[in-house]
Amino acid sequence: MSTASAYGLLGAVLVGLGLYGVVLQAEPLRRILAFNLLGGGIFLLFGVMARRGAGAGFSGDPVPQAIVITGIVVAFAATALAVHLLLRLQVARDVPAPPEEPRA
Amino acid sequence: MTGMLLLATPLLPMAMAMACVSATLRTRMMEWLVLAPLPGLAAALLAVGGPPLVLDADGARFTLELSPPAAMLLGATALLWSLAGAYAATYLRDDPAKGRFAVSWLLTLAGSLGVFLADDLATFYLAFALVSLAAYGLVVQDGTKRAHRAGVIYLVLAVLGEICLLLAFALLHAATSGDSLAIRDAVAALPTAPARPWIVTLLILGFGLKAGLVPLHVWLPLAHPAAPMPASAVLSGAIVKAGIIGLIRFLPFGENLPGWGEVLAAMGLFTAFYGVAIGITQANPKTVLAYSSVSQMGVTVALLGLALAGGQVGWVRLAAFYAVHHVLAKGAMFLAVGVVAGCGGTRLRWVLLPVGLLVLAFGGLPLTGGGVAKLAVKDVFAGPWLGALSSLSAVGTTVLMVHFLLRLQLLGSGQPQERPAPGLVWPFLTLAAAALLGPWALYLGTGIGSLEKALGGAELWAGVWPVLLGLVLALGLHRWGWRLPAVPEGDVLVLTRRAPALLSACGDRLERGEVVLRQWPVAASALLGLAVLLVLAMWQAA
Amino acid sequence: MMLGTTPGGGLLAFALALPVLAMLLAFVAGGRQAGRIALAALLAGLVLSLAVATGVLRGGEALVLTLGGWAPPLGVALRADGISAVMLLTTSVVMVGTALFAFTSYSGDRGESRASLVFWTLLLGLWGAMNAVLLGNDLFNLYVALELLTFAAMPLVCLDGRAETLAAALRYLFFALLGSLLYLLGVALLYGAYGTLDIVLLSRLTRADAPTLVAAALMTAGLLAKTALFPLHLWLPGAHAGAPAAASAVLSALVVKAPFFLVLRLWFDVMPELATGLAPQILAGLGALAILFGSALALRQARLKLLVAYSTVAQIGYLFLMFPLAGAAGATLAGAWTGGMLQAVSHALAKAAMFLGAGLIAEALGHDRLRDLGGAARLLPMTVVAFGLGGLSLMGLPPSGGFVAKWLLLNAAIETQQWWWGLVLLSGGLLTGGYVFRVLSASMAGPAAAAVAVVSPGRQAVVLVLAILSVVLGLLPLASFGLVQIGRLAP
Repeated sequence: MSTASAYGLLGAVLVGLGLYGVVLQAEPLRRILAFNLLGGGIFLLFGVMARRGAGAGFSGDPVPQAIVITGIVVAFAATALAVHLLLRLQVARDVPAPPEEPRA
Repeated sequence: MTGMLLLATPLLPMAMAMACVSATLRTRMMEWLVLAPLPGLAAALLAVGGPPLVLDADGARFTLELSPPAAMLLGATALLWSLAGAYAATYLRDDPAKGRFAVSWLLTLAGSLGVFLADDLATFYLAFALVSLAAYGLVVQDGTKRAHRAGVIYLVLAVLGEICLLLAFALLHAATSGDSLAIRDAVAALPTAPARPWIVTLLILGFGLKAGLVPLHVWLPLAHPAAPMPASAVLSGAIVKAGIIGLIRFLPFGENLPGWGEVLAAMGLFTAFYGVAIGITQANPKTVLAYSSVSQMGVTVALLGLALAGGQVGWVRLAAFYAVHHVLAKGAMFLAVGVVAGCGGTRLRWVLLPVGLLVLAFGGLPLTGGGVAKLAVKDVFAGPWLGALSSLSAVGTTVLMVHFLLRLQLLGSGQPQERPAPGLVWPFLTLAAAALLGPWALYLGTGIGSLEKALGGAELWAGVWPVLLGLVLALGLHRWGWRLPAVPEGDVLVLTRRAPALLSACGDRLERGEVVLRQWPVAASALLGLAVLLVLAMWQAA
Repeated sequence: MMLGTTPGGGLLAFALALPVLAMLLAFVAGGRQAGRIALAALLAGLVLSLAVATGVLRGGEALVLTLGGWAPPLGVALRADGISAVMLLTTSVVMVGTALFAFTSYSGDRGESRASLVFWTLLLGLWGAMNAVLLGNDLFNLYVALELLTFAAMPLVCLDGRAETLAAALRYLFFALLGSLLYLLGVALLYGAYGTLDIVLLSRLTRADAPTLVAAALMTAGLLAKTALFPLHLWLPGAHAGAPAAASAVLSALVVKAPFFLVLRLWFDVMPELATGLAPQILAGLGALAILFGSALALRQARLKLLVAYSTVAQIGYLFLMFPLAGAAGATLAGAWTGGMLQAVSHALAKAAMFLGAGLIAEALGHDRLRDLGGAARLLPMTVVAFGLGGLSLMGLPPSGGFVAKWLLLNAAIETQQWWWGLVLLSGGLLTGGYVFRVLSASMAGPAAAAVAVVSPGRQAVVLVLAILSVVLGLLPLASFGLVQIGRLAP
C-alpha cells in the first residue's frame, strides 16, 4: 500500500469517526471534539490530493496546502466560538455541571 | 378622452383609498363615497366600444377595454355603488370604525368596476382578487362573532376561487400562441387547448363561486346578512357580478365546446330553484334576499349556458341585460331593509309600496324593469320545457319575494313617530326608480327589443300569470302559517361542522411529528441520509 | 480560455473591501460612532451594487476580477453575473433598511455602547461575508465565505445573552458546521478529481463519474442544512425567532439565501447535467414538504415571531421548486429561472419587512403573543399595513413580486407538464393566506392596545417601504428581469 493510500484511508476513517460522533454525541464538548476529528480527516484528504502535483515534476501541489492552512484557521475559529458559547450558556443557566443538549 | 375615463374608473377609488392614510381625510371619506364610482358611470355611457387603452411598459401590459355587455353591467354597478355609498354615509355615521369601512369599500369598488374593463389576464386577475379580498372588510365591519365567522368562510372560499382561476389562467396562457396575455387570445385558444376540460372546470368553479352557483353558494347567505346594509347591497348587487362578467369574458361563445353549455345551463337552473326552495324557509329578510340572489344568478348562469350550448353570441348581451335588472333591484331591496328598520306607523306603508312594486318586478310583472328583463330573455328559454321552467322560476321568485316582503314588514320599528333619515330614503328611492325604469331605457335604447313587442297581449299575459300564481301560492302558504322546516343559513355548510375539530387534531399530530424531526440525532441522520439519497439519484441519472 | 478582468471588474474588489474596512473602522471608533459608520458604508454599498448591476446589464456579460492579476487555476477570481448582481442589490437594500431600523435602538447613547458595537460590527461582517458568497468564483473561497457568514450570524442570534437564545445559537452553529464540513469534503473530492476549484473552469471539465457525483451530493446536502430546507430546519425557528428583530430580518431575508445561491451555482453552473433526472425532483419534493409543513406549522404558532420564522421555512421551499422546472428537458427554461430568483428577492424584502414589523409590535406591546395582539393595528397602523403587504407578496397575490414569481413558476410547471408542482405552489398560497390572515385579524380586533413603549414613525416607515418594495417588484417591466439571465454558464 502506497503512502498516499494509507493517508487517504486514515483520512476516511477520521471522517467516519467524526460523523459518528457529531450525529450521536449529545454532550456538547464531545460534539465539538467530533467536529475537529471530522475536519482533521478532511484536511488529511486535502493533503493526499497535494501529492498529485508531484507527478508534474513538483514536490507537491501548493494549492491544497494553502487550503488546509486556511481551513485550520477557520476550524480553530469555529471551535473557539463554540466553546465560548458553551461557557456563556453555562453561566446563563447557572449550573455547575456541563449543560445538557437543548431540547427541541 | 374615453381612455382617461377607463383609467379613472379603477384609479379614482384607489386614489381615494390611498388618501385614507391621512387620518383627517379618513374620517371625512364616507361623505365622498358617492363620488368614487362616477368615472365608471361616465365610462359606461361614453366609452363603449372605444379603442382599448394599452399601457405597455416594456412588455408588462395593462389593457382596459369596454365591450357592450360589460358596459351595461358597469353602468348599473357604478350607479349602485354610488347610491349605496351615499346611503352608507348616513347609515354608518356613528360607527367608530367607519374609516376602515371606507378603505375596504373603495378598494372593493376599484376591483368591482375594474373586472368589467380589464382586457388582459393579469389586469383581470388583479381586479378580481381585489374585489374578492377587499370585500372581506365589508363583511366583518360589524365586528360580531357571526360577522367574523361569515368573513372567515367567505375568505377561505374566495381564496380557493382565486386559486382555481390562477390555475385556469396559467393553463390558458400555456395554450395561447405567443406571449400574448390578452383575454381574447386566451379565449380563442380555449377550444383547441389540450387541457380544455380542466380549464373550463376551473373557470366554472372560480367564477361560479363568486356568482353563487350551488353548491359553491354557501358564502352568500352568511356574508350578506352579516354585513352592514349598504355593504350587503353591493355584495349582492355588484360583487357577485364579477363572477358573471368572468363567465361572459372567458367562455368561448360561438365556438364549438360540446356539452359544457348544457352542463352550465343545468347547474344554473338547479341553482335557480334551489335558491327559492331554501330561501322560503328563512326568517331573516336579508337571508331571504341572499337566497334570492343565489336563485337569480342561477337564472343568469343558465342563460349563459344556453348561449354557449346554442353557439349564440347575441344571447350573452341578453344575459347581461337580465343581470342589470338584478344589480339595481337587489341593491334597492337591501337598502329598503335599512329604511324599514327605522320606520314606523303609516310611513311604513309608503316605504313598503315601492318595495312591493320591486317584489312584483322580480317575478317579472310586465311593464316593470323586471318584466322587461324577463321579456328580453324569453327567446333564450325557447321550447316547451325551457319555457315551462322559466315560468316556474318566475312563480318561485314571486313566492320568495312575497315571503321577503312579509318578513320585512315585521322589521318596522313599531313606533309611529319614528322616521327614517333622509340620507337613507333618497338613495333607496332613486335606486328603486332606476330598477323599475332603467331596464326600459336600455331595452329601447340599445335595441334589445321594441315597444310593440313589450306591449303585445300574449306577452303581457305570459308575464302576468306566473306572478298571479306566485301571489296565490304565497298567500296560501302564509295562511297555512308558513310551516316549513328550518334550514340554517348556508344550508349544506352544516356538513362541514366537524371540520374545525378534525383540522385541529391533524395539526396536533403534525406538531408532535415536527418535534421529533427537530431532534438533533434525527435531523443530523436525515442530513446524511439525504446525501446518500442524492448520490443514488444522480447515479441513476448518469 | 483564461478568465481575465473585465471592464468594471474593479467594482467587485470594492464590494468586498468596503464592508471589511467599515467593520474595522467601526470597531476602532467604538459604540457611539459604529452606527453612523455602518450606515454610511451601507449607503455607499447600495450605490456600489447599483453600479455593479448597471455594469452587468449594460455589458451583457458577467463582471470578472482576477485578484492580483493571477488567473485561475492558480489565482482566484471574483465574478458577478446577473444573479450575483440581483442578490447584491437585494442585500444592500435589506441591509440599509435594517440599519435605518436599528439606528436608534443601537445608537450607543444609553450606556449600551458594548451591545451597539457588537451589533454594528457583526452586521458589517455579515454584509461582507454575504458579498463574498455572492461574488466568489472559487469553491474553497466560498467555503470560507459561508463560514464567515455563520460566524457573523450566530452571535447576532444570542445578542441578548439569555440562556434560551444562547442554546438556539449553539444549535445553529453546530448544524451549520456539520453542513459546511460536508461541503468541504465535497470540495476536497472535486479538487482531487479536477485539480481546480474555479467555477468557470469546472463548468467545462465536470463529468458524471463517481467522485464528482459523491462530491456534488455532499456539497448539496451540506448547503441544504445551512439553508434549513425541510426536514433540516431544526435550528431555524429558534434562532430566527429568538434574535432581536433587526438581526432576524437579516437572517431570514438574506443569510438563508446564501447557501441556496451556492446550490444554484453548483447545479446550474458547475454541473448543469445534475439538473436532470431524479435529483431535482428530490430537491423540489423537499421544497414541497417545506411549503406544506412550514405553512401549516406557521398557522399553529402562538407567537408572532415564531410564526414568521416558520413562514421562512415554508418560503425557502418555494425556491427549490425551480430545480426540476429550470432544468427540465435539458433546455433551461428562462421563466422558471427568473421566477425562482424573483421569489428569492421578493421574499427577502417581504420577510425583512415582516420580521421588523413583528419586532415593532413586540416592542410596543411588550410581547408577541398572537392571542393578545388585539389593538395593535390602531397602535401601529403603518406596521400592520406593512405586515399585510409583505403577506400579500408571500401569498403570491397580484400585483406583488411574489405573484409574478409564482406565476412564472406555475407557467413553467405547466409547460414542462409537471403540474403537481403547480398544485403545491397554489395550496401553499392558501395556507400562507391563512397565517397572514391570523395575524391581521388578531391585530385588528379590539380597541387600541396600551403601549409599553413608543415606536417612532420613522422606524415604522422603514418597514413600510421594504414591504412596498416587495409589492412594487411585481410591477417592474418583465424585460428588466433579463438581468438574471446574464452570464449563465449553462447553455
